[in-house]
Amino acid sequence: MTFKHDPDTPDHIVRRDFVKQLAAAGAASLLASEPRSLTAAEHGFEQPEATADSCILIWMGGGMAAPDTFDPKRYSPFKEGLEISSMLSTFPAIDTAVDNIKICEGLENIGQVMDRATLIRSAVQPDLGSILHSRHQYHWHTGYVPPQTVACPHLGAWMAKVLGPKNPVIPPFINIGQRLEGVGEKEELKSFTTAGFFGSEFGPMNLPFPEQASQSVQPPKGMTAGRFSNRHKLFQELVKSGPLKERASDYQQESMVRSLENAYRLLSSKDREAFDIELEPKESREKYDTGRFGRGCLLAKRLVESGARFVEVTTEYVPFLHWDTHNSGHDTVARMHSEMDRPIAQLVLDLEASGLLDRTLVIIASEFSRDALIEGRPGSKANDQATFKVDKITEKKHYGLHRHFTGGTSVVMFGGGVKKGFLYGKTADERPLIAVENPVSVTDIHATIMTAMGISPKTAYDIEGRPFYVTPDGKGKPVMDIFG
Amino acid sequence: MIKRILLFAVGATLAADVSAQQKPLDFAHQIAPILKKHCVECHGGDNAKGGFSLNTRELFLEDDMATPGKPGESHFLELIASTDPDAQMPPKGKPRVSAEQITLLKAWIKAGMKWDAGFTFATKKYEPPLHPRRPELPPVVEGRANPVDRIIDAYFAENLQPRPAAIGDAAFLRRVHLDLVGLLPTPQELNEFLADRAPNKRAKMIGALLADELRYTEHWLTFWNDLLRNDYGGTGFITGGRKQVSGWLYQSLIDNKPYDQMVHELIAPPTPASRGYIDGIKWRGEVSAGQTIEIQFAQSVAQSFLGINMKCASCHDSFIDRWKLSEAYGLAAIYSSRPLDIHRCDKPTGETAQASWLFPELGQVDAKAAPAERLSQLAGLMTHPENGRFSRTIVNRLWAQLMGRGIVHPLDAMQTEPWNEDLLDYLAIHLQDNAYDLKSVLALIVNSQAYQSKVETLSQDADVSGYVFAGPRAKRMTAEQFVDSLWQLTDSAPTSFDAPVSRGNVDPAEVAKTKLSAEWIWGDSANGGVPAAGEQLAFYTTFKIDKPVQSAGAVVTCDNEFALNVNSRELAKGTVWTQLGAVTLTTALKQGENSIVILGKNAGDTPNLAGLYFEARINFADGESLTIKSDSSWQFASKFPAKSPVRRWRLAEMKWQPVTVVPAIDAWKNAIDPVASEQLVRASRGSALMVRASLLKSDFLMRSLGRPNRDQIVSSRPNDLTTLEAIDLSNNATVAQALARGGQRLADQDNVNTDKLINVLFQSTLTRDPLTGERAALAELFGKNATAQAIEDALWALCMTPEFMLIR
Repeated sequence: MTFKHDPDTPDHIVRRDFVKQLAAAGAASLLASEPRSLTAAEHGFEQPEATADSCILIWMGGGMAAPDTFDPKRYSPFKEGLEISSMLSTFPAIDTAVDNIKICEGLENIGQVMDRATLIRSAVQPDLGSILHSRHQYHWHTGYVPPQTVACPHLGAWMAKVLGPKNPVIPPFINIGQRLEGVGEKEELKSFTTAGFFGSEFGPMNLPFPEQASQSVQPPKGMTAGRFSNRHKLFQELVKSGPLKERASDYQQESMVRSLENAYRLLSSKDREAFDIELEPKESREKYDTGRFGRGCLLAKRLVESGARFVEVTTEYVPFLHWDTHNSGHDTVARMHSEMDRPIAQLVLDLEASGLLDRTLVIIASEFSRDALIEGRPGSKANDQATFKVDKITEKKHYGLHRHFTGGTSVVMFGGGVKKGFLYGKTADERPLIAVENPVSVTDIHATIMTAMGISPKTAYDIEGRPFYVTPDGKGKPVMDIFG
Repeated sequence: MIKRILLFAVGATLAADVSAQQKPLDFAHQIAPILKKHCVECHGGDNAKGGFSLNTRELFLEDDMATPGKPGESHFLELIASTDPDAQMPPKGKPRVSAEQITLLKAWIKAGMKWDAGFTFATKKYEPPLHPRRPELPPVVEGRANPVDRIIDAYFAENLQPRPAAIGDAAFLRRVHLDLVGLLPTPQELNEFLADRAPNKRAKMIGALLADELRYTEHWLTFWNDLLRNDYGGTGFITGGRKQVSGWLYQSLIDNKPYDQMVHELIAPPTPASRGYIDGIKWRGEVSAGQTIEIQFAQSVAQSFLGINMKCASCHDSFIDRWKLSEAYGLAAIYSSRPLDIHRCDKPTGETAQASWLFPELGQVDAKAAPAERLSQLAGLMTHPENGRFSRTIVNRLWAQLMGRGIVHPLDAMQTEPWNEDLLDYLAIHLQDNAYDLKSVLALIVNSQAYQSKVETLSQDADVSGYVFAGPRAKRMTAEQFVDSLWQLTDSAPTSFDAPVSRGNVDPAEVAKTKLSAEWIWGDSANGGVPAAGEQLAFYTTFKIDKPVQSAGAVVTCDNEFALNVNSRELAKGTVWTQLGAVTLTTALKQGENSIVILGKNAGDTPNLAGLYFEARINFADGESLTIKSDSSWQFASKFPAKSPVRRWRLAEMKWQPVTVVPAIDAWKNAIDPVASEQLVRASRGSALMVRASLLKSDFLMRSLGRPNRDQIVSSRPNDLTTLEAIDLSNNATVAQALARGGQRLADQDNVNTDKLINVLFQSTLTRDPLTGERAALAELFGKNATAQAIEDALWALCMTPEFMLIR
């Protein structure tokens, strides 16, 4: 099942008209505390023409080490007595489908689709005093460094708010794979996994377990379709025959009933099959199924095929697990490689096969990189987060990149109008492995993603009487070089 | 292809704009900019060339310059379209209004010329007063003597506005219950109220609800937690960067502490218990200059207590009101224990902040004094009797809680002109006259006819040409109210909670005379031996109840773990034997034979001492009481179906044996004796009331229903039900389980015919009897004998109706 937008009104045309119609918003926005769009010709910009209609953010929560993934450096195999100062990468480099791009061993399948990718090796982050996962994740997902005086919307919420759903039945912002309860730093995760001041209509539909996603759009457990439908009919009957019927024009009442009707429609519609990865042919499921993350990629594929606007799928951030490699880094990353390699490559191939890749921006990113020796980057005031430090490796658990590093991080993008087989930016070949060519800030990464989606980095909403921009102060600059 | 079902179009921008031509025009973004660009220079602000100003919609309409709905009769459209150089507007030499823009303007006139509430091109003139003012009350009309009504009746007369109709007793009861104590009235409460013939029964009810300390406190806790951004979990706690004020707040509400004293204790904490508010949330690492804890202090104090948005001014001089960077820093410096460098947009200006507060007319803090002294001075100035801004801000918040919209709107922009100054000022002075007794303001408002009248019917574009009071506005139940209601209806409230508070008051005299006599018991293994590690036993007793129970509760613990089942329903579990569990039994008991089954488990790696301890007190309506306690009369079983719930056990067929009484060791006595009496009284009397959602950490369901992450101060909750919320309400497991339990409970009741059941359902959810059509719908579903499932579905459908979810 493939969602195609109405050929008569491609998304970008619709949006252009919409922007035109919005006209200027000279008047400061008034009394209402609801956010109001300040998108306006008067503000000296126009919405860019979108190169993507959907976006999948593949989130490597916990700090994906660039030298052990997409930016291999000098490789030092494990041996007792290895000097940490001489260790840059713990995986050897391998060839990819692109001559001048090498990535790390373990990512062979992704290597084969790098000819569809733009690889940015020069993403940088601020140090924020302490290089903490939760603060950097907040920054990366909202564009704003926490704390903030207003609740900042997640970038998925921005897309939901500005662009709306692509298929009206599929919620526009879907978040796969991250638990928000029962994990460490859950409150910190919740603080950015939100639509913030946009209100919950634009907030995430959270699907922490891909294999259970279908339950989120099903009648309650144990309730047959017939009973579910009868229950809804009873609701309608009560609304119709109750004393409020004379107030049917009441806006508040009407909108409540409408929301319940909408929910019923999704829960009883064919479209909800997009949430059920069990419906995928076995062969296809096996290609993805390297674990929960792989199944999340499969779910993301199905949702985008059905017209999802923004989907985030993560390896999940849990303190000291997965990418949060504070010890046994090499072994953990080897496992992460095997979890991510097949499903990501398959996702790209499947989207390409269904013709959706051209209009779907797929991004692989993480809150920062890692290094074996340097915390933050040289000269930063960042507090050292490392729990133990050794100069020489004596045990296997010391082997790996165990420190938070903000000076040079890799971001991979596929589809959605970005160049194919393109390398952008460069990090040093010797420590410190900082970006030495075309550094790209989080703000500019955001500007790039939003521009691809047809949202100007200057787009703003008025909240509490002040403009709130999709990139801070509207100053994000898209990296135009990466667009094809 | 996929069916294009308009689903997420609700409120979603693009989907809505696909058909922008049919949609209502957006005044602020489509129309106002055209007017501003082409007309306002001469016909707006302080200018009115040719005597014409379009500052407001009313002014625009004068002299037939515009006629809503009739572009043909709107003179200004002729002028802007005219090509006559002498008549055309804008005049010769100025850029013309484009054809596209004229089309928009025409469409706008045709659609009724909608204008955003309060919008004006005029230079803003309103400056809110600082001092309190005692307005002269208009004469009493038709015996409506409540000061609120005297003011509002005069307002209605002046605005030629009809009074909204009065509401009936049932609607009043539901509204006032939810507004003052946050809970639905029970069918019994409803029927008693309806039967009451006293002419002042509404006033009596209001008095009774406000006097119900526990329920009042646990409802208003939500409002205060939002306003003070206090919670039991959230960002910052993980690193100790944040402290609760929960215990202090709870007790302040129980005591109905005067508001000025509350704020004094928050700003200048006399003990650490109320300190969390000013200390804000300290994040690890560096934060921007606009978010240090000192600046957070300035922002919080200004917003919570004065309705001032200091967020803009803490970065640069505000563009939207009169506050300046130096004033924000001055406020922050009162709190700061270090010299505070002023930063403009995160860059130091080279100046150091001088501690000062916002209204020097009332006095000033001594910048040279020590921080604690400065805070105390600030608290004094804030709560100064001449600080009318302070009292107006809180009464406006209370009015909005009860009436659905503030007298000043938005609530945190108190510089905005109120729709009725006399009303705001009167409420504020009433608060001050009554020694800052918050309940006195609530009582004044809810006793008014204005409150006790029908809610306004709202259209989507309500307030487009300014707000006019036309009765209260319906409020959506908060997440906490909805969850509490669900628990109340289905008897599925949890037995424990997260708030670090002591619930309710217990009578010390009763505690003093309550002596527990339970004994520690175990199985055969304790008879001359030492129980094995991990041994699991089931303990069992039965008893009869033959008269109405008023309240009942129990204390229980087990070395090492227990699970308590009353009438085969699990009520409590415990894994820490040193903590005596206190459990309310009131709703779990039934007339006739009752059973208690407690699963006990020993822990450890080697054989060790084990024992179970239980005592229940059942208070009957006639004043007598019954004690059930663990002793030699109990029985135990060592073989039982551990994997299946107790309700599936065949108790009669199991092999029960007499228990062994185990002599209590000192460790047991020490853990239990100091607290047992009070806990038992509390369980059986004090908190016979169910645990409330306000006492719990936020969960998935509450977040979905709009409970905020309390990282920021929140003074109003969303009023709309979103589609994602509706999905959760339709299939959320917690909701479904509660409803299933509620259905089962009602189905289990004996001697309830369908008709009576339908009445109970309507009375307990909507506080009224069903109409004919409604009764028919449920009767059809139920047939002769309503199944648990059918009742469950009926409960769901009733709880989803707007009538249920709205307080109206």
